[in-house]
Amino acid sequence: MSSRDAFLARVRLAAEQGRPYRVHTREVPENIGYIGASGDLVKRFAMEVNAVGGEAVVVSDLEAAARELHRLLAEVGARSAVCWKHDLLERLGLRQLLVGPGVSLHDYESLAKLPSDEQRRTLLACDVGITSCDCAIAETGTLMVLARPGQERVASLLPPMHVAIVERRQIVPDLVDAIELLKPTLPSNVTFITGPSKTGDIELQLTTGVHGPGKWRVIVIA
Amino acid sequence: MSGTDYLREPHHEFLPASEQALGDPTLQRILGQLGDTLGKRNRDAWAALPNSDLIRERARAIKDQTLADLDTHLATLEQSVVARGGHVHWADDGEQARRNILDLMQRRGAKVAVKSKSMTSEEIHLNEALEHAGIEVVETDLGEYIIQLAGHRPSHIVAPAIHLSAAQIAEILSKPAGKRLPVEREVLAGFARQTLRQKFAQADVGISGANFAIAETGSIVLVTNEGNGRLTCALPKCHIAIMGIEKVIPRLADLPVFLKVLARGATGQKLSVYTQIITGPRQPGEMEGPDEFHLVILDNGRSKILGSPLRESLFCIRCGACLNACPIYRSVGGHAYGGVYAGPIGAVLTPLYDGLAANHHLPHASSLCGACQAACPVKIQIPQMLIQLREQLHQTPEHKNRLEALAYGLWARSLRIPWLYRLSTWLATRTIGRFKRRNPWIKRLPGKLGGWTESRDFPAPAAERFRDWWRKEGRGE
Repeated sequence: MSSRDAFLARVRLAAEQGRPYRVHTREVPENIGYIGASGDLVKRFAMEVNAVGGEAVVVSDLEAAARELHRLLAEVGARSAVCWKHDLLERLGLRQLLVGPGVSLHDYESLAKLPSDEQRRTLLACDVGITSCDCAIAETGTLMVLARPGQERVASLLPPMHVAIVERRQIVPDLVDAIELLKPTLPSNVTFITGPSKTGDIELQLTTGVHGPGKWRVIVIA
Repeated sequence: MSGTDYLREPHHEFLPASEQALGDPTLQRILGQLGDTLGKRNRDAWAALPNSDLIRERARAIKDQTLADLDTHLATLEQSVVARGGHVHWADDGEQARRNILDLMQRRGAKVAVKSKSMTSEEIHLNEALEHAGIEVVETDLGEYIIQLAGHRPSHIVAPAIHLSAAQIAEILSKPAGKRLPVEREVLAGFARQTLRQKFAQADVGISGANFAIAETGSIVLVTNEGNGRLTCALPKCHIAIMGIEKVIPRLADLPVFLKVLARGATGQKLSVYTQIITGPRQPGEMEGPDEFHLVILDNGRSKILGSPLRESLFCIRCGACLNACPIYRSVGGHAYGGVYAGPIGAVLTPLYDGLAANHHLPHASSLCGACQAACPVKIQIPQMLIQLREQLHQTPEHKNRLEALAYGLWARSLRIPWLYRLSTWLATRTIGRFKRRNPWIKRLPGKLGGWTESRDFPAPAAERFRDWWRKEGRGE
């Protein structure tokens, strides 16, 4: 018997021996964990983003979103940004938007042309990451982002500020709805982001930005 | 007092270690805040969650069902991981897991590994083994990084450096900084961010634990608040995850219920900041992410527990809620417990993994108040398990207290012989009872019995037996 088979045989025997000690649990409906969000999902989502230490701004259209983005870039004096390729960002005209304030834009196409160590250096030096999301969760103030070419996992991770632009139709009520969207095949990485990078490791006091972005901004187009 | 360094060495000296912890004013100040911070957030989170009790019951039921057919779920997990281009390694014990991981690293010629916090890797003492082979291992969770620099053992499941003050942390970080860092949280965290970024960029391998593994999809789930878990499996070219066999859940649809209770148990958050579902290495065309994904599945005594009456301890999702709730943990801190896992769940797990006889103090390191069970996201019946361990202890010959056995033996005998019982109660009331008539409390018992009166008084026998009173006056009442 291979060591793998011996391993599993041992677990099988133990699982059988342990069955008399199973605990009594009440019958609970499978969807009991579904909490959901009532009322306007945009409002609720924005409220939860603020509650977890982010800053959400609700705007009425793409133009207002562009103005808000300009304001955020100016706030941190951004020089370079790593950006997703995404339909919403295209519609926003992100490339042209960054020319004005003189922010150099790095995206999948421009980065793919660089040798790998230079790619890494460029990514690490970016001041801001601009993304959209695959969906947003109203109940918790969460963004779900899936890794795929053009929508790299590091855009929402490496820079000190992460700005996400979200549309009303992307918002779902509950984590359960978001996970439902992942079927049938999972990408290599799914990340749920709920707030700026946080730690309580120094005397249990909240400190932000220890590894990921310390500033987490969400522009919601209602 | 012994010469054991409780901060650094595993030990079996709960009592002297507790004594030392109780006498440490800095530690006492920090532990004093625990109930009002993490503990309160946890209680508030359960109160605010609709149907919280039923949701926890659901999580509990999934764990119970999964464990009943654990081998099947593990085999499915293996199949799914392989289907997504990952590799699975089975490790019977810590030794084999260390060898597996070391082999993988040496095959790649790896020099530097970054680690996202993993209690399982602490359990198998992975860092020492890798360092011994000349590999630099860098803990990247801020708390773990701090205690790695200091050479300390973690003192809390989710807040490993909770025993240190900000001033002590500044001192520890000042060494690698090469200058005196101020006692300001932002500066200290900023220094760690900067230093660890370089390590992330340099590292050949990222090592993580797994909060959950999903059998049907072959995914592991990693939950962090800092983002070091994301960096660990984004930047290095190889990702090695290590998990205990009990971490598997059957379906993706089971995950939300656990994520909801885990974050609430750990920190009172609805969700932790970063939750990742990782499925295999990166796909073609993706710029960042590992080329290789390895999953090490560890037994290390777990299957023995699975087949025992204490199998419920395998439900634990390592959130630390029971530590924050426990009056004993909040008094003595994590290092007193001596093993890898502290607090109420540690008092169960350490005797199971490390031997009951060697850790005979731990099942008694509890007032059985039940706060741990009330805080637990999967409602593990910790007090009941501690009582079971106490029972087992009393059956082992080396921990049978001879004096106690003699006392209970005499008691049992006198109860069986009426005249002897009458005589003994008569004697007790006529001697100590009469003597202590005015103040019926004994401040100090003689000899070995003194342990009882060290922290409480012992009630003296009454001056008159009930049967005497009954004969004189009781009948008429």
